[in-house]
Amino acid sequence: MSSIISHAMASGLNRRDAMKLAVSGVAASSFSGWLPVLANAETRLTSKAKSCIVLWMDGGPSHKDTFDLKPDSQGAGEFKPISTSATGVAISEHLPKLAKQMHRIALLRGMSTLEGAHPRAKYMLHTGYREGQGGIQYPALGSIVSSEVGRPEFPIPSFVSIGNRSYTSAYLGPRHQPLVVTDPSRGVENLKSALGGSQFDARVGLLENMEAGFRREYPIGAGLDHQVNYQRAVTMMKSREAAAFDLSKEPENMQEMYGSSKFGQGCLLARRLVETGVKFVEVNLGGWDTHLDNFERVKKLSGTIDQPASALLDDLAARGMLDSTLVIWMGDFGRTPKINTRGEKPGRDHFPRAWTSWMAGGGVKGGRVIGRTDKEGGTVEDRPIAVIDFMATVCTLMGIDPTKQIQTPIGRPIRLVDKGHKLIEVC
Amino acid sequence: MKRLIGVLVVLVLASQAMAWPEKSPETPKQATATQQGTAAIARAIDKAVAAKCQESGIALSPQTTDAEFLRRVHLDLAGRIPTLERTRSFLGSTEPDKRAKLVDELLASSDYGRHMADIWQVLLLSKNSVARRLDTDVFVDWLAESFNKNQSWDNLVREIITAKGAQDKNPATTFWLSQASVDNMTDTVCKVFLGVQLQCAQCHNHPFTGWKQDEYWGLAAFFLNVKALPPGNKQTTSPVVSEGKLVRKKNNALPESAKVLPPKYFGGPVAKVGSSLEMRPLLADWLCADTNPYLARSMVNRLWAQMFSRGLVHPIDNIHDGNPASHPELLEELTRRFKDGKYDVKAFLRGLCLSETYQRSSKPIEGNKDAVVDSYARMPMKVLTPEQLYDSLIQVLGSPERGAMARKAGTTPVKGAKGPRAQFVAFFSGEEDADATEYQVGIPQALQLMNAPRTNAPGAALKLAGGATDPVKALESLYMATLNRTPTSAELAMARDHMKKVSNARQVASDVLWALINSSEFTTNH
Repeated sequence: MSSIISHAMASGLNRRDAMKLAVSGVAASSFSGWLPVLANAETRLTSKAKSCIVLWMDGGPSHKDTFDLKPDSQGAGEFKPISTSATGVAISEHLPKLAKQMHRIALLRGMSTLEGAHPRAKYMLHTGYREGQGGIQYPALGSIVSSEVGRPEFPIPSFVSIGNRSYTSAYLGPRHQPLVVTDPSRGVENLKSALGGSQFDARVGLLENMEAGFRREYPIGAGLDHQVNYQRAVTMMKSREAAAFDLSKEPENMQEMYGSSKFGQGCLLARRLVETGVKFVEVNLGGWDTHLDNFERVKKLSGTIDQPASALLDDLAARGMLDSTLVIWMGDFGRTPKINTRGEKPGRDHFPRAWTSWMAGGGVKGGRVIGRTDKEGGTVEDRPIAVIDFMATVCTLMGIDPTKQIQTPIGRPIRLVDKGHKLIEVC
Repeated sequence: MKRLIGVLVVLVLASQAMAWPEKSPETPKQATATQQGTAAIARAIDKAVAAKCQESGIALSPQTTDAEFLRRVHLDLAGRIPTLERTRSFLGSTEPDKRAKLVDELLASSDYGRHMADIWQVLLLSKNSVARRLDTDVFVDWLAESFNKNQSWDNLVREIITAKGAQDKNPATTFWLSQASVDNMTDTVCKVFLGVQLQCAQCHNHPFTGWKQDEYWGLAAFFLNVKALPPGNKQTTSPVVSEGKLVRKKNNALPESAKVLPPKYFGGPVAKVGSSLEMRPLLADWLCADTNPYLARSMVNRLWAQMFSRGLVHPIDNIHDGNPASHPELLEELTRRFKDGKYDVKAFLRGLCLSETYQRSSKPIEGNKDAVVDSYARMPMKVLTPEQLYDSLIQVLGSPERGAMARKAGTTPVKGAKGPRAQFVAFFSGEEDADATEYQVGIPQALQLMNAPRTNAPGAALKLAGGATDPVKALESLYMATLNRTPTSAELAMARDHMKKVSNARQVASDVLWALINSSEFTTNH
């Protein structure tokens, strides 16, 4: 056992991961076990995606005013549908650039979830589990991806969250925590030393000497993990890959293509990170909680996403990365089909029962719509998608077995995605 | 408030009077029951641990040096490393009973209650979207005060279990305000006070223990009438907890798995419910009764884990027949002694600290380097908790100017974070229920400790070095303030080498301090 661990540590794993490897009879058998299950399932998906970018629309975007317009309904709203590059698919007039991307996008109009309060909905859409379920914390999807397909020797964390509060890696451990970038134009906090290069190196040399002394007395345990972590941090500081966080390295035409908004910069940073090998990036855009003044705000927000999201898809395609990069657009939930007139200006409230998200790239077949809501946009009439369906689909596209069980530190087996899922036919 | 301070002073004095026999000549010659209890606890531990090690052919590590003991017991009881001054005075003292005196000093310090409150608030308060809006400071202060005045554990638990009224009048209600649902309440009570993991039985019979789903919902029935008016409710200024008739709507509905059963004590009979709708007092009576098998055992296991990194039963909250303690008779005896000692937490901790087992070095030696952690042949090495790390760093570096140590204002992703300490703790917190010996920190935290302006300011190093012109003296101070020991000759040589590379004395002190606070020796409790 100890030799496995020292070997694993030499190759950049920490003790916890090494422990996992040591019992990886589990991983191997579960891998061979789930292939037949997939083959038997009605839906077959490819597992082409190497990375995933989630565009998180914080607050819950109004589906009826973005990607599921109902011009003949009672609460139709002010926006007109426009035709798109996908035959027979119409979206909001305020998303003209995304309309031209629709041949790459699979619209999921049957999202149907249970949580109607922001924190609980966000928790569920990030982890696939109800907050508090079974009395434990669940890891975020990004942490699952980091843990399952992240490369241990990669010098940057495999899960980066841009402009968003992070959901934790829970029982998957600190290696799979998201690296949070608050402001994309400033990159990672404290990535650079306050000192000059040679001075910093001298300090690190001093630290390494001290550590060698401690290691002689304590050749095992947390002290070693600490040293491995510091090595990783210093490696990251000095790595070529860390330059991915520096947006100033992008040519001007790229900056223009994505736009100067924080969200645009976030999308550009996401592309740079994925290009460099990061597995999961979440880009956050807040402001979608439009109880009041829904139409003006959704129009403005549509303008905020239209160019950067289109630029991202174009850019990934031009670089030959779209097929290996799954792009997801989603939020907390949808908004009420009826318009509220409580305030001075019309608004829409929380609505988890029926809403829209979309996927593109990563092997997803674009140009179509999966699921259908009724004429009011209030009930899913065809192919409802539960959170577990969504999570299991993303996992499968990324080559991760959603049925895999992980042992928590207290020895409870927990599935990556809760049982009962039905894959979405996105390929 | 004045009266309160008066009470506190009396209690502190009382607890000092009840101290370890060698404490001072004024103590009566006849040792009190508490003192005898304390000594008996230490003896029982050493006997059980030695016997098991001998049986398995595991060698016992030698006792700690004074420096090792000083740092360890500070971290375990006061939640921070010792000050430079206390390090000097303790290492310089030749008093034979200085270790016992130090234990008493730390148990009587206000840092003790604060450290206990740090540990217990995490266990008692649920983390969910409701709890994030709560003012938890009043609860933490109340816990700290209760631990400092050494309220007996059964009384403290009773106050929590039966808490009602407005949060600003009765901070113990915060426990209930933070629990989002009946199943949440049941899980927390089981885990924290009973030491059992019943949550699996919420939805199905427990796979290993034979606990039935009915056991879960029988216990949950004690909490069905708990009504919490959360912060921001329209009826009261402060959040309120009460017990009475409750209308269940969508937002407080029971989970699908719920079974409606009469209240039943865990592993015991159905409760005799009178006309009162208040059922928590019944549960408290049962839990705090002398015959209750869970409360004392669970606390003994947790206090053991606080000092020794893991419970005699491990995982700590998974006490059941199929998961025996590493030293079953010891757990039984300690539980009995904790009960006999009237649930006196300080006396129990004093017993643990004065055992040879607690005072054993953590360095592996020939004959125990492959020994399992729970042989206690040597002290397991623990990682500083975020709170211990922050308080120790602050002690070395000085108090932060508003949030300088933490992430800059407005950039923190963690809600409910208030001061710099809370922000630091949130940023450095690992997974829940983490093993105390597991390193929980990742790259972003290492980057902060290496590169934040706070850990790079030369001022602190110069201050600690105390303007010493002799570079050896300066180095000594830096080591004593951070690692609480004198540097070895090899370390002095290492620093001298560094001096040759860096001509500026200011920079040398600054570099050495930087390396010390970023070292694994600083980050761990060994």
